[in-house]
Amino acid sequence: MKLAELSRVSTVRLLPIYGLLFILWSVLLVGWVQYDTKRYLSGVVDEILRQRMHYLNHIDRQRLPEAMAQTVALDLQGVMLYGLFDQQGRKLVGNIEQMPGGVSLDGVVHFLPGGVRKEGDQRPIRSRGLATRLDTGEVLILARATSVVDEVNAIIYRSLLWGLSLTVIPGLIGGLWLARGPLRRIRALESAAQPIMRGDLHQRLPISERRDELDMLAGIVNSMLQEIERLMSEVKGVCDSIAHDLRTPLTRLRTQLHRMHREAADETAHRAVLEHAISDVDSLLDRFRALLRISELEDMHRRAGFTDVNLVKTIDHVREIYTPLAEDKHITFSFEVAHDIPLVRGDPHLLLEAVSNIVDNAIKFTPTGGSIHLRLTQDAAEGVRIDVIDSGPGICTTERDVVLQRFYRGTCTSKDVSGSGLGLSIVAAIVKLHGFKLQIIDNPSGGAWFSLSCGPAAAA
Amino acid sequence: MARVLIIEDDRVTADEIGAELQRYGLETEWVGDGNTGLERARGGFYDAITLDRMLPGMDGLTLVTRLRESGVQTPVLMISALSDADERVRGLRAGGDDYLTKPFNPDEMAARIEVLLRRHANASRPMVLRVGDLELDLIDRTARRGGTLLDLLPTEFRLLEFLMRHSGRVLTRTMIFEAVWGYHFDPGTNVIEVHIGRLRRKLDPPEREPLIHTVRGAGYVLEAR
Repeated sequence: MKLAELSRVSTVRLLPIYGLLFILWSVLLVGWVQYDTKRYLSGVVDEILRQRMHYLNHIDRQRLPEAMAQTVALDLQGVMLYGLFDQQGRKLVGNIEQMPGGVSLDGVVHFLPGGVRKEGDQRPIRSRGLATRLDTGEVLILARATSVVDEVNAIIYRSLLWGLSLTVIPGLIGGLWLARGPLRRIRALESAAQPIMRGDLHQRLPISERRDELDMLAGIVNSMLQEIERLMSEVKGVCDSIAHDLRTPLTRLRTQLHRMHREAADETAHRAVLEHAISDVDSLLDRFRALLRISELEDMHRRAGFTDVNLVKTIDHVREIYTPLAEDKHITFSFEVAHDIPLVRGDPHLLLEAVSNIVDNAIKFTPTGGSIHLRLTQDAAEGVRIDVIDSGPGICTTERDVVLQRFYRGTCTSKDVSGSGLGLSIVAAIVKLHGFKLQIIDNPSGGAWFSLSCGPAAAA
Repeated sequence: MARVLIIEDDRVTADEIGAELQRYGLETEWVGDGNTGLERARGGFYDAITLDRMLPGMDGLTLVTRLRESGVQTPVLMISALSDADERVRGLRAGGDDYLTKPFNPDEMAARIEVLLRRHANASRPMVLRVGDLELDLIDRTARRGGTLLDLLPTEFRLLEFLMRHSGRVLTRTMIFEAVWGYHFDPGTNVIEVHIGRLRRKLDPPEREPLIHTVRGAGYVLEAR
């Protein structure tokens, strides 16, 4: 499964949006929890500090160092910091190494931005603290490390990270995995649609038991196909039965004309009229035969009769059959067959019929003295390829699509050539049956250029 | 007189076949269903059989298979509304000798029956074919007219061989195309005409009596008249 394809599935498109929203919401929620927790814990710390300060403030100056030492002794966690400094800022008592900077002596608890350096420690400790000036002019500082608050913060932060990674990553993976389901089903639909696109209207799209939106869509397409199939078969049925039903009376008519012609002795004028009538009936019958042949070819879905066809042989036969015709019209019929042409999968009779029809057409439309070039080549991109290039009037760009349709005869080319206009339709039907490609190429020298690509080589 | 058994459930078609074959001087007999048809055919008193592919009782394929199983080698022309190439192959594999699609041109049908009758009559393959002063040596693959060696291309040789094997019989364009090139589609009016024309120029020089004759609206016949 290609990544580009996967990225177009709607589930996958929604994934980043949902992921982003989820992350945003989680951060908001956890941020609030963290803020509130911190506020509460800081409040507790501040309360303790205030009480201590209150207590120490009311103790006699002489007993102060002792009381402070007691306070510290009670603090098993070692989070309490205190210090008594003289007016010059020199330490008198306490476990604070030196007076922290930026302390305001207002007796209100603040966060100490520079931290407090504990005795014997190198790095300052993040802490909250308060300071007051005693009546003696000395400064009393009490601080408490915020390590508990920080620890709780860290826990909340870690839990956010873990929570996110444990939900977002599996969520993304799960989303991608889920997206493969619909993609796989689209694949199944696609492969079911292939034969339909090739013209096999009996096929239907698969519908699973889930009855979800894809199934609903497939159901709609299926009922559409049903209707198209019905209409197609009606149209085809009408065409076929006209051709079929008219053939029998025409055959009888021909027989009768033939009988009359035989019995008409030597009255030349009479005979000539009858001969003319017979040839008209013949061309009518030919047309019906061609029509029924096309519909027969279009009905052939199976390729069971396909074998490996040596196109070199096919071209040889075409050369054998059509060279005399070209010579009679003084047309130079040249051939070019590349070496090592691989076999192609197909029906040898039908392929000869297709190439014959193209060549027959070329001979018909190329004026006396012209040239036709038949080429069998192989290239990496398109595989084996047959080109028929003539020096006739060519086919107008505007008519290139329609010449392959039934009964269409070019209007911008000569009109004096007889034919049913069905030859190329037969070619088109055969080409379609084989899954090959027929193109009408721009010919710089003006004539018609038909190119039949017989698909990828050998393996086809 | 040669006798042809017509196994065909459609009365009108059967009459048509009968009338046409009688015109060629053949005696015909009509049977309307498969079982009776097989019974009669096994009797073996016929020189050729026209057999409809779809029949009440027993279908044409089964019939011809059973017929061949019981050792009857009467030539069979299968006539069918199924024109599919596979159907043709199936019909011929089952033991049919030739295959014709409905609706058919009666001339074509008669011409095919004639060829079948002829093929059956001289089952032995001669080494040299002769028609008038035309001589075709199948071993040397040479053709001579009145002692003069004709310079023929391989295709022309095959064409001439087919015409000579069935000399005196009308051969339609499709029959010729089928026999000489082995393909079963309509090659267009011109193709056979041009090939016959070339052969004719080599075969029938102006000072000699022509051997290849055009039967207007039907086909060609090679004979010394």
